Amino acid sequence: MFRKFYLLYGALVLSTAAFGQYRGWSLDTVNQLKNIPKSVRDNPGSYRSVYAGYHHYTGGK
Amino acid sequence: MGTGAPPPPLPPKPQAKGLNCPKCGAAITLRSFGQAVTVVCAGCHSILDAKDPNLAILQQFEAITSVAKPLIPLGTRGKLRGTDYEVTGFQRRSIQVDGITYYWHEYVLFNPYKAIRYLSEYNGHWNDISICKTLPTADFSGATYLGENYKHFQSAEANSDFVLGEFPWQVRVGEKAAVTDYVHPPRVLSSEKLDKEVTWSIGEYMYGREIWDSFKLPGDPPAPMGVYENQPSPVSLNVTGMWVAFAAFAVFLLVLMAVFDMRAKKEPVLEETYQYNRVNAKGEPSFVSDEFALGGGTSNVQVKTSAPVDNHWIYLNYALINQDTGQAWDFGREVSYYHGYDSDGSWSEGKRTDSVVIPSVPAGHYYLRIEPEVDPMLPAIPYSVSVIRDVPVFGIYGIAFLALLVPVVIISFRAYTFERSRWSESDHPPMELSSMSSGSGDDE
Repeated sequence: MFRKFYLLYGALVLSTAAFGQYRGWSLDTVNQLKNIPKSVRDNPGSYRSVYAGYHHYTGGK
Repeated sequence: MGTGAPPPPLPPKPQAKGLNCPKCGAAITLRSFGQAVTVVCAGCHSILDAKDPNLAILQQFEAITSVAKPLIPLGTRGKLRGTDYEVTGFQRRSIQVDGITYYWHEYVLFNPYKAIRYLSEYNGHWNDISICKTLPTADFSGATYLGENYKHFQSAEANSDFVLGEFPWQVRVGEKAAVTDYVHPPRVLSSEKLDKEVTWSIGEYMYGREIWDSFKLPGDPPAPMGVYENQPSPVSLNVTGMWVAFAAFAVFLLVLMAVFDMRAKKEPVLEETYQYNRVNAKGEPSFVSDEFALGGGTSNVQVKTSAPVDNHWIYLNYALINQDTGQAWDFGREVSYYHGYDSDGSWSEGKRTDSVVIPSVPAGHYYLRIEPEVDPMLPAIPYSVSVIRDVPVFGIYGIAFLALLVPVVIISFRAYTFERSRWSESDHPPMELSSMSSGSGDDE
């Protein structure tokens, strides 16, 4: 029973991996937005990223 | 009427005999007809010779019946694996290992047309036992019976502590026999040596519920404790098969990876180098890239950034915007690289390149909005941005590989712990257990 379950499970895992590759899945996280105004093309400053000003890395050991 | 010699007398019909104990006078019923060799009086615990019409007393023993009460009362009838049986005898036996006494119970099952069968019970674990039809071959490490190999499990001296009912052999309390068990779950092959006579029997593990249902016993069977010597593992039989299946899946995964890597377009759609200059960036720092087309169906987009940072950082707020629909993917990426020397030697941290893959981006016309933030120590720095359509994501295969591996590892671990519990009770305990027990012995 375990083996049958595992065969089904494995087939599902492979199918999901194949579907994910086909659909262009990614492991990275990005913020998806809708209805960005067309004016951004001509006036980039009219849009502000949610990440803007967030980063102030000082780095180093 | 004939005048010849009278016909020879017919043998008596087998029937349950009602007799009385010559010691205490208690009623004794012989259930197994002529097959009983000894019968035990439940009243005074005299072992009587069932073959003797006067039931000669062979042995008498003292016993507290409450400590050895049969779970299946004598005289109980039931259908065990398709055959009707009556429980006619019961005995409690024991072995001593490292000063600890282990008890188990045996029940004699009788059917006038079938061979005698036995049930054994130890801590809620049951075995259906019958005498071997052919002689097994055995040595110190194992035995072979009907083409099946059995591993040696345990050898010990078994003692009969308590007997009740009828037995097809000359049973005695205090009788000692050398017993050896060989296992091939769910079967156990046992040899029992009494004086010079060796009896081989074959047993098959049974669950208490099956016994209870067979004999229509009230209540529930005692719950099994621990792992018994021939108890079938719920997982062991699947382990090899699952590893084979895992190997096959891993090969399929490699094939999948190769196929998708070959069919991935990996199409560069934008490659630009920009210059950040703090003097010129007093106003609005953000800008947009040239428009580019993403073709094909829904697929991913890789955005790569590189900058010649040296103990500095640059951070880019990106937005990949669909010019036609207004849909956008907003993300920020850092490129930083630090290095130096300290008391531990040289060190480095970060990279001069960065990559991000945006998932499931439909075809269309797009542009990038880029808003750079730069280390205040840097007056100016160039950086390159490239956008590539449809790239393989190998992390998905890594996750799939782990997803395939984890259940096999869990099942293997469960099988290992089950077998470890089984063999810890044997003459061949697992290495670490034997060293632990010898260690604890030294401490005492």
